[in-house]
Amino acid sequence: MQPTPPGPVLRAGGLTLTYPDGTTALAGLTVEVPAGSVGLVGANGAGKTTLFRLMLGLVPPTAGWLQVAGCDVVADPIGVRSRVGYMPEHDCLPLDQSAADVVATFGELAGLPPRAARQRASDMLDLVGLDEARFRPVGTFSTGMRQRTKLAQALVADPQLVLLDEPTAGLDPVGREEMLQLVARLGGFGISVLMATHLLDDVQQVCEHVVMIDRGRLVLAGPIDQLMQTTGTMRVEVGGRGDAAAALGQALADRGLPAVVADDRTVDVDTSRHGEDAFDVVRDAVADLGLRLFALSTRHRSLDDVFLQRAAR
Amino acid sequence: MTVIHTTPRAAVYDRGYRPYQGPRGGRREATLALWRLSVRRALGLRRSWRQKVFPWSLLVITTVPAIVDVGIAYAIRDDPFELARFEFLTYREYVGVSTSLLVFVALAAPDVVCPDRARRVLPLLFSRPLTGVDYVVAKVAAITTIVFGFAFLPHVVLFVGQMLVADGALDYVTDNLDVLWKVPVSAAVLAVYYAVVGVALASLTDRRIVGGVAILGVTLIPTAVVAIVAEASGGSTPLAVLDIRALPLVLRDLVFLGHIGTDSRLSGVEAGGVLGALSYVAVLLVGVATLLHRYREVDL
Repeated sequence: MQPTPPGPVLRAGGLTLTYPDGTTALAGLTVEVPAGSVGLVGANGAGKTTLFRLMLGLVPPTAGWLQVAGCDVVADPIGVRSRVGYMPEHDCLPLDQSAADVVATFGELAGLPPRAARQRASDMLDLVGLDEARFRPVGTFSTGMRQRTKLAQALVADPQLVLLDEPTAGLDPVGREEMLQLVARLGGFGISVLMATHLLDDVQQVCEHVVMIDRGRLVLAGPIDQLMQTTGTMRVEVGGRGDAAAALGQALADRGLPAVVADDRTVDVDTSRHGEDAFDVVRDAVADLGLRLFALSTRHRSLDDVFLQRAAR
Repeated sequence: MTVIHTTPRAAVYDRGYRPYQGPRGGRREATLALWRLSVRRALGLRRSWRQKVFPWSLLVITTVPAIVDVGIAYAIRDDPFELARFEFLTYREYVGVSTSLLVFVALAAPDVVCPDRARRVLPLLFSRPLTGVDYVVAKVAAITTIVFGFAFLPHVVLFVGQMLVADGALDYVTDNLDVLWKVPVSAAVLAVYYAVVGVALASLTDRRIVGGVAILGVTLIPTAVVAIVAEASGGSTPLAVLDIRALPLVLRDLVFLGHIGTDSRLSGVEAGGVLGALSYVAVLLVGVATLLHRYREVDL
């Protein structure tokens, strides 16, 4: 199995792309993406596809620099394209050709000898579960089968990095789950994945790292595990009297713990400055007020929480 | 006697993923692959029989005059009087005389470029080690190759046939040695021109039918207009430089005769050969510039 490239698959510094009409698609993006499975997250129009265009060397940046799979994109766009596979979001396959012909053709276009391209096409269609349908015209395929064919053509030349643009777009729940399972397997093959999507659940399911961009700017980048750690918020549910939550909120504030009253029974406590000592402070405050403690828990974030919080800044 | 197998006779293997460690080409190989793909597509190879009928029928149609010519010559080979009276098809006339080549370009050129844009295959192509220039080279080369083949192969039939019919095959070859370079050069001049014009016009639209009509319109309408003007002015007119279809025939005449043929609309025009050649080059340059502009950048 091909070893995963040790270095980052993407490095960018001050990467900017401004169109002639003055629209800035990317504004000073500086990011380093490690090898592995990485989610590129952002709302529609955030600049995900623009970043892919720049990564493939299809358009030069207005300012800044960009390295993909160890290659300078501006200096050697062809070298980058030899190392990278690309799966577009939209329909892009010749409908009157068989899947085997399509995938083999794109293998040849990536520089593989014809015989090797046909062999690899067969292997890749087998891998994505289209072995029995490979001689059927792509025009007769369902959306899910076309997505798999697109993935097969992206993998046929054994790339170091594969760029997936919304790979689950238009798929039903079963098809989406199957596609995500396929994507999750790629890391084990030594192929790094950069998956652009606005579906944070997809990223959470298959990626190890995430890069979030919004309106052409970097929101955050890092390992998903770290981002998903506790939020620094404790949720406390109390009862025993009508103004229990309000009274507790005031008592905690008096003890130096910022708290927000969520409803009559619930208080969200900011524990970021006190750490685990905050649990003792809450316990003591509840006891002093003579309240009943129903629940006390730290909140775990989803990527949605992280994105919304950071994007709002 | 019953044989008991102690080892499983069949098994299911998960072949998993095998990395590729063989040779890997660059731009040249990618361009070659795109050329091969486009030639296959234009000839209908690896496509349904419907797509094969048209190109191969045209090859037959372009070859028919040669076959008929050789057949008649064979039939009257023992009659010196008839043989002397019979007007054989000349190699010069046979280059570009058939509009079937133009019809082929009008159908094949849009077929090899329009679907790439209409079905948004271009972003996928350009994510490979290919540039816009490589794409243009591959597509023009593919159409050039086929047009050259369709223009050249009938000449081979004509040459071989007349050689076999002639009294002395070796004498025929030695008497017509110049044909062996004039025909391929003229066919190449014609093929490159038709390919550039055809692919350039087809690149301006996503729709094959529109591309085909545009190619026929741009090539045939000026021919008709120039013919009318020339007839009104004694058979020739400087406006013949606008006869886009006939410009490569000027170069053919220069290759075969060293001057314009008397059947050309430019034959009576001063420096008509130079004007025709310059117009040929100008059309080629405009075509290439159009193609490079159309494929300079691709959106994902």
